[in-house]
Amino acid sequence: MDQLEALKKEWQSREQVFPKITADQIYPMLLKKSSSVVKWIVIISLFEIAFWTILAFFIPDSINEFNDEMGLNTIYTILNVVNYSVVAIFVYLFYRNYQKIQVTGSVKELMGNILRTRKTVHYFVYYNIGMAALLMIGINVFYYFNKEKLYDILRQDDLYAVIPPETFFSTFFIGQFVAGVLIIGLLIVFYWLLYGLLLRRLKRNYKELKKIEV
Amino acid sequence: MTKELEHSFVSQLEQNQNIVHKICRLYTHDSESHNDLFQEITIQLWRAFPKFRGDSKFSTWMYRVALNTAITLYRKNKRKVQTQDFEGISFKITSEEYDSTVEDQLKLMYDAVKTLNDIDKALVFLYLENKNYREIAATLGITEVNARVKMNRIKEKLRTILNP
Repeated sequence: MDQLEALKKEWQSREQVFPKITADQIYPMLLKKSSSVVKWIVIISLFEIAFWTILAFFIPDSINEFNDEMGLNTIYTILNVVNYSVVAIFVYLFYRNYQKIQVTGSVKELMGNILRTRKTVHYFVYYNIGMAALLMIGINVFYYFNKEKLYDILRQDDLYAVIPPETFFSTFFIGQFVAGVLIIGLLIVFYWLLYGLLLRRLKRNYKELKKIEV
Repeated sequence: MTKELEHSFVSQLEQNQNIVHKICRLYTHDSESHNDLFQEITIQLWRAFPKFRGDSKFSTWMYRVALNTAITLYRKNKRKVQTQDFEGISFKITSEEYDSTVEDQLKLMYDAVKTLNDIDKALVFLYLENKNYREIAATLGITEVNARVKMNRIKEKLRTILNP
């Protein structure tokens, strides 16, 4: 490969032309914020946790009353405690992964660590989506077994009162199903956009490195 | 103490800045992203600097951090910029007779290197910097044998790019 050798020779014997950056220009750079991929993963995941937490405060009272009447409040409280404990574990894992990421190791090591962080994020996403799906299925099973009570409570609502009694349950459960699928679909798109795109290039590079190992 | 650390860091980076520039030029397509990447590498170097104990040369340590940043941490903000608003490589012209065909050949080769993927680029870069296979392998985290095999494949790739 003569051309590469020629380039190598010139590369070393001659200096390349670059803009000269002075010490005075370097000092302010040290104070600037990094925009690295890892930083974004951490920021986004923290932001996400905050988002779900804040959202919980905006649940309208009518829903709380409804849950109370259905006798669901205790189970919701328990689920909330479990959920926040799991989220706390994830926050800890995110932090630990973040600490582990060192730019001074080899390229492969660093990539492996970042992708481990990504895996943790993935588990977090699976957990959130799985939890949402399970909750929706569970609650509807519960509604199904407590149909009469549900009907009595919902009939008082103007919105539900217009549905004729014969088709009430089929309409109700189809509605629940459609809403559930939509919400889960939106969650998947949301996570795919957030993390999938952010780390796509990195994954490609890592595969490249793994490939040489064989 | 921190001031001392800062001074020592800045002066060493100033002296060795061409290493960073060469990486930036290889991994970016316009002067704006070149400066962006330079900035990001500087930040990462400064962050990791307290852990630099001087058991290797500052420049050797720089190769790792700078390549790591270019390959894994840097988010390319512009996708596939085809038009290059600054021409790839330019060497200082030596006083001897200036041969434009050699210059053109070099430029073609350099452009071919720029089309390689991130990992291959890193390998070629270290090769051009006259690093031996042991050093290349250590920087990338692969074995020496793999580095050799990989380099041979890259040469093959470059040959096909240049002689389609």
